[in-house]
Amino acid sequence: MKLQHYIGGLEGLEPSSFEKRVFVQPWEERIFGIHVAMMGLSNHLAAVKTVPTQFKSFWTWGHLRKGAEGLNPFDYFKYRYYEKWLGGISGFFVESGYVSPEELDAKTTAYLENPAAPLPQGGEPTIDEQVMEYLRVGDSPKVDVAVPPKFKVGDVVTVKNPAPVAHCKLPGYLRTKQGVVDEVYEGAYNYYFPTGDGVGDPMPIYNVKFDSHDIWSNLTEPKTWIYVQIFEGYLEDPA
Amino acid sequence: MTENIDRETYSAARVRALESLLIEKGIITGETVDKVIEFFEKDMGPFNGAKIVAKAWVDPAFKQRLLEDTPSAIAEMNFPRGMAGAEGEHMKAVENTPAVHNLIVCTMCSCYPWPVLGLPPYWFKDPTFRARAIREPRKVLQEFGLEIPESTQVAVWDTSAQIRWFVLPERPAGTEGWTEEQLAAIVTPEAMQGAAKVKVPA
Repeated sequence: MKLQHYIGGLEGLEPSSFEKRVFVQPWEERIFGIHVAMMGLSNHLAAVKTVPTQFKSFWTWGHLRKGAEGLNPFDYFKYRYYEKWLGGISGFFVESGYVSPEELDAKTTAYLENPAAPLPQGGEPTIDEQVMEYLRVGDSPKVDVAVPPKFKVGDVVTVKNPAPVAHCKLPGYLRTKQGVVDEVYEGAYNYYFPTGDGVGDPMPIYNVKFDSHDIWSNLTEPKTWIYVQIFEGYLEDPA
Repeated sequence: MTENIDRETYSAARVRALESLLIEKGIITGETVDKVIEFFEKDMGPFNGAKIVAKAWVDPAFKQRLLEDTPSAIAEMNFPRGMAGAEGEHMKAVENTPAVHNLIVCTMCSCYPWPVLGLPPYWFKDPTFRARAIREPRKVLQEFGLEIPESTQVAVWDTSAQIRWFVLPERPAGTEGWTEEQLAAIVTPEAMQGAAKVKVPA
């Protein structure tokens, strides 16, 4: 099992921080912006074909999440949210050959020695136009394919227990549990790439309702419902 | 080398080095990151969600439409283009009432409805919150300063597919006759994720 898939429900933790800022260090917004640019310039978007960026890769939330889920689980908890992004994204650019480890290290040293050194300027304005257009148009996973839902509102369903894969959309605490379909979302939804455990192709998504006691017995609180959006590929008829 | 430098100083230099190389290599431009940040400061942020909530409080028919078909109801309003853009492609509002308190969490990552709420605050992304909120929401909310009465049902919503939820909070007492603008000014991002109630400033 991968610990990252089983975060929901972990015991023995300290009180939650109620830190309301988005970025707690000024540098964090830079890596956020780079990730958004990569998603907006990803080669799976039709509009990107004519954009003069040197970025030629497929990059989505799925790729970022896969990296975080691939970390040593103890490292996952050692690093803050955007530290994981920085590690994953810089690793991606090095592994994909866009940047050599030597030049990244050399530039890092240069900015350590002179943090106020400016960033390079210029570039093709149409690159920025595409990134902003991506933000305004999005990248909808809903596809125009008719896939009749297997389940309807009120059906009891069992959550499957597929073997762990590199990137998964099924919260670990739900595996083998039973819930009731509360809503069938209209249409069919794909995922950026096949995860290998049943998600990827266009399929219905359900909102499934669980009683928290059916998941955690008496280790939860009274009168608590849990609603989870689940891809149809993770659900089956109770046997 | 890295052991001797402060963790944040190193990350700041590292990300600047990366951004610098990406600009030099023609992957992004010298303005890309600034433009992305500005988009969330000016166009897409919790100020949009606050206007939606305020309208729903004063207009029951709009509220009904918002709960039934969230994107169409939002499209009626005068927002910048992009309310169905990145991370807002498929949104759904859920309503807090005296009988049910809703709390949104994303236990596996940090899915968040960007066009209405902007970017997720740190508490929402914190693995401790993600781990605990789904199993002991009342205790977590109590730590956040919100006591949920025993008679109230708690519903925790875990975003793990493609729909982005947000909460339509309860309108606080003492706001009778307020304009939509006045109401929007007191709606917080925390209230729109169910982590707080909307309060009238003292």
